[in-house]
Amino acid sequence: MQRRDFFKFMGASGALLSGASVLGAEHQSKIDPDNVVGVLTDFTECIGCRECEWACKNAHEMATPPLESYKDKSVFANYRRPDETGFTVVNRFHEKGCTQTDLDVKVQCMHCNDPACVSACIVAALEKQDFGPVTYDAWKCIGCRYCMVACPFEIPAYEYNNALTPIVQKCDMCISRLDVGKIPACVEICPRNALTFGKRSDLIKVAREKIADNPGKYVNHIYGETELGGTSWLFISCEPFDTLNFPKLEQASVVTLPESIQHGIFKYFIPPAMFYGLLGMIMKLTKPDSETADNTNSSSEVHHD
Amino acid sequence: MKLLITLLIVGIASFSCEKEKIHSLPQDTLFVSTSDTANHVENMTEKAIDCNTCHTCEKPTAADPCLVDCPREKTWNVSAGSHLPGEGPEIVIIDQLEKLYQPVIFQHRFHSSMATMGVGCSACHHYSPEGKIPPCRDCHANETTATNLRQPSLKGAYHRQCLNCHREWSHDTDCDVCHLPLDPNSPRPATIDRTDIIGVDHPTIHIPEKQVFKTPEEKETVVTFHHQEHVELYKYRCVDCHWDENCSQCHDTLGKIKSFGDKLEAHHSPCTTCHNTVSEKTCGFCHQKQESKGFTHELTGWPMNRFHKKLTCASCHPQNQPLQRLNKTCTACHTNWYTGNFSHVVTGLTLSESHVELECTECHLEDNFAQPPQCETCHDGDVSYPDDLPGEKE
Repeated sequence: MQRRDFFKFMGASGALLSGASVLGAEHQSKIDPDNVVGVLTDFTECIGCRECEWACKNAHEMATPPLESYKDKSVFANYRRPDETGFTVVNRFHEKGCTQTDLDVKVQCMHCNDPACVSACIVAALEKQDFGPVTYDAWKCIGCRYCMVACPFEIPAYEYNNALTPIVQKCDMCISRLDVGKIPACVEICPRNALTFGKRSDLIKVAREKIADNPGKYVNHIYGETELGGTSWLFISCEPFDTLNFPKLEQASVVTLPESIQHGIFKYFIPPAMFYGLLGMIMKLTKPDSETADNTNSSSEVHHD
Repeated sequence: MKLLITLLIVGIASFSCEKEKIHSLPQDTLFVSTSDTANHVENMTEKAIDCNTCHTCEKPTAADPCLVDCPREKTWNVSAGSHLPGEGPEIVIIDQLEKLYQPVIFQHRFHSSMATMGVGCSACHHYSPEGKIPPCRDCHANETTATNLRQPSLKGAYHRQCLNCHREWSHDTDCDVCHLPLDPNSPRPATIDRTDIIGVDHPTIHIPEKQVFKTPEEKETVVTFHHQEHVELYKYRCVDCHWDENCSQCHDTLGKIKSFGDKLEAHHSPCTTCHNTVSEKTCGFCHQKQESKGFTHELTGWPMNRFHKKLTCASCHPQNQPLQRLNKTCTACHTNWYTGNFSHVVTGLTLSESHVELECTECHLEDNFAQPPQCETCHDGDVSYPDDLPGEKE
């Protein structure tokens, strides 16, 4: 094959691949976003008491100093991320224009409607439950940490200090508590109801009402309503979210494109069949030349004979 | 049976003793955990509120009050004016968490007198029916209910109310600011010190005579705000302008002061209630080249006499409307003065017997009391005011 033909071939393959992604473009979320539970966080109500951090560790039977010690506000000096020792943290933002006090911001797993970590997990150790939580099964996990790379919110944490049995750790929305009819531990302990647990669709209504009823108090944005196809955890704030270290994200889930391509390529086996069909065509189109050459050769041989 | 009754009495006695033990409490102390259903029916009958307005069943009990969902809009009416701060209890003991902490001693009257600087009682009592103010727990359940996610739980409601101001004021949100530990060895709250400011109205705030602001306008840069005049002359209450302020504006322990922000509306907001700050034609009323003098009624071309000086602006100028020029004719306001009910003595001239029964208009022609009275209606030009008086001057 000549160089020129090679490029033609590559072009055709590219077109085929993009055709495949078009085939798979109707990427559907696996869950019904109206029937999942979630938590609405109102940053204007948060006072940074960090009792949620204690309650979270307590509920997950993790090592924690006594609740009394959480009075210590010196931890706010550094920006913190949830890690394997604590699935939720509260960060304090000073000198924000919208409030006379500091603005305290709780972060934890967002429990995306279309979680990238679940999509990236090659052994299905991470699983999106029908009713909302994204859970993790340490027995299935092989420790590849693709989930950590995939998560746009940098949530999953790995036990690097555990040499023998390290696992990935993240908020599970207290699924063991949800199973017995309790609400997540952080929501339960919050003294000012800055956290509200409920059906995601109801929480969006509540958030909209709050924004509409208090003109000027909130920015008109429910973070998590549309970000990456929506998340179970929703936030309202008096400051724009990008100033609070929340990433600015697309409306479509990060899994939409890769899953569309991956799933599209093998949909009904049509694209592979087409691809091999094309190869066959190329073979067929290029064959007569060589046959003629063969015939000439053989005839010449015959002639010689 | 006898034993049961004895036990009950002992129980009640020990319960009340327990509460007595806390302090020597003032008379008007309210325990939030104590049910006040005893007088409820009486109270409601007095206010002519039908049981069905709030209850869905025929015989509501304390255990199952079968209340309709809160807020019960039809019956709820924030009536800030009907309860004065002094009428509330002096101390409220919040003792629902008796098993975890010492009861919270909420100095109610102290807080209510502070609230007069802001929006008043309704700052906390955001839903108040006619008559008795209901306790928070009447609406706020122990946990947030799925049917009303916007309504905070009782815990959330208390903490939202208290910490809204306290976090701005002292920046101290630790539990032990209000909740003292149960441990008997830990310091207990001292007996209430009556010499403290509790129950006393907010100390007098010094009102500046005037404030002069420099504005970034090109020509008319000076705005003079005659502060004292607005309070004493125009009789505005502090809250009429300072409606959007809270305790922390003055009492921030970190000494931060909230700025109005850079927006034009924010600067003008305290004035807009009365002054037109939208139309460009009226800018010059406040924005001038130099400091303006205070208001005197002479400036309007109508100096006030000693009787009018005693009046408030609203006695003559219609309330809730921009001030307007009024008709100068006396009878425009004094419509019901006529011979017989007007005592001429107040003018300093006691009319003689022959004059006292005359119609006003016989001397004060065409109801013009500003002009000197005329005597020609009766007299043939031999007498004239003020050389001859129709009575005796004081």
